[in-house]
Amino acid sequence: MDHREEIRKCLKELLLLKGDKQPFSDDASLLLSGRLASVDAVEIVVFLEEKFGIDFAKVGFDQSLIDSVDSIDSLIHSAKN
Amino acid sequence: MSGSLEATAAISSSAWPQRLANFRLIPRIDAYPVVVNFAQTIPGKVLLLALFALGLRFATGDWIPLSLCLAVMTFVPSRRRVLLTAATLVFTFVVPWTKFSHPAYASALIVFVIALGAILFWLALELPRSVVGRHPVFILLTAYSLLVGFAAYFPNTTRLYLTVWDFTATFGIYLWFIAYSLLDVCSKDRDDFSLQLGVYRPFWGSTATPIAKGASYLRRIEARDPQQLAVAQLKGLKLLAWSLLISLFAKYYMELVHGYFAIPAFGVEFIRSVHHTADPWYVCWASLLSQFFEEIMAISIWGHRFVACARVAGFNALRNTRRPLSSPTIAEFWNRYYFYFKELMVDVFFYPVFLNYFKTRKKLRLAVATFAAAGFGNAFYHFIRDLKYIAELGLWRALAAFHVYIFYCTVLATAITISQLRRRHPPHPGFFRGRVVPAFCVSLFYCLLHIFDYTERTYPIREHFRFLAHLFNLNF
Repeated sequence: MDHREEIRKCLKELLLLKGDKQPFSDDASLLLSGRLASVDAVEIVVFLEEKFGIDFAKVGFDQSLIDSVDSIDSLIHSAKN
Repeated sequence: MSGSLEATAAISSSAWPQRLANFRLIPRIDAYPVVVNFAQTIPGKVLLLALFALGLRFATGDWIPLSLCLAVMTFVPSRRRVLLTAATLVFTFVVPWTKFSHPAYASALIVFVIALGAILFWLALELPRSVVGRHPVFILLTAYSLLVGFAAYFPNTTRLYLTVWDFTATFGIYLWFIAYSLLDVCSKDRDDFSLQLGVYRPFWGSTATPIAKGASYLRRIEARDPQQLAVAQLKGLKLLAWSLLISLFAKYYMELVHGYFAIPAFGVEFIRSVHHTADPWYVCWASLLSQFFEEIMAISIWGHRFVACARVAGFNALRNTRRPLSSPTIAEFWNRYYFYFKELMVDVFFYPVFLNYFKTRKKLRLAVATFAAAGFGNAFYHFIRDLKYIAELGLWRALAAFHVYIFYCTVLATAITISQLRRRHPPHPGFFRGRVVPAFCVSLFYCLLHIFDYTERTYPIREHFRFLAHLFNLNF
């Protein structure tokens, strides 16, 4: 499973836990649009720390960094580089 | 024939709950392409602004300058952020000029506080490796705490006594706005201070809690094109209509509950309980429930209005209060009741702790961070917000009198922690088990906890427990 697929799966699960079954595109805003809340942001942070070894204490945290599949993917790439 | 009738009946029976769920008291005008297209034209913008101004007329006395600022921002979207700063300065110094008892003195204090904010912002930017650069918000909050301590021990026989307290109060008003601009220092696409100033008590209104957060959030939610602006403005118009409807409902609700049914206000009922003259338990329940409901309406009325203005200004901010009574969990209620306060606590207290400490122990990490936000941050915010108690009672007696609210914060933080640590499941599909029962339990919890949120700070915690026990017909 590639990065994007894993991110999509994680976000989809979080949306399902809220009863949100609406589809979402890779550039769709999920946190800033209110579809996901800060509780879910915490889950995404833990997911990125565990799966991709991202250390937000070093990267610096902003909700916009994990707002969509695209933004998370670019965060992973920039953290790797 | 009978088959076709059965089919029709089946369709209609399955369609009605859906239709009911889709029913909107205020139609979703922001989803109608014709309306969105019209709102992008000049006549459409004029009509939208005129309707909004009409709504504001019933909501606030400053509706004329507010509407004018919104009109300018609507027609010059390319300069929106600069205009936001200009409008905020107008609403900081010009609009309230006649409301200040000493306008020049009040304005000088505000200028001084803003200048201090600018200096801190500059220091954090220029000295990123220093303590101020690495922990700017911590330095700000520590400095303000020391200022409060200084004011509390400042001799009240000197002429400067009132000035010290006035300055402390003015700084307190801007404290969390400065905190948000300091949080923005680390952003790669940060705004300079002139744009940060636009959200220092923005012109659309705010409490001590920044509504629509800081400059960083505004950059993300700003309308990028005419269509996004039209949608944001139509959503703003809808939200203002909601605010007015709730306001109208609240007026008749209060008359009915406190007038016709003669149910005492919670404060009155609580004092009766203190004097051992409380009404029967069911009247106390009615009083508590009514107060809880009234507070939700009140926060919705002003929160919707502020966010509605932000939306018409071109910032598609999330609602401050969004159906808290249907929250399925305790954590969700806290998120929905006063969104921007929760966001402030999360941004200033939760994330710094969560991202830096106990990284290998997931549950402990979440619990400590939640206590930092909903417990410590919540108590700290309210203690330094209500300066009159510190001025009247002195620092230590004010802290002692604050014990009831500290208890409230501890229970709240514990409940939110448990709520977050519980394994999350998709909601139960049944309407009653999936929605009604959880929402009822969560609302009941917050309603009962509200007894300890009654922050007059005059009575010991025993009196709050006495009231709680009396609700269950237990008297001591």
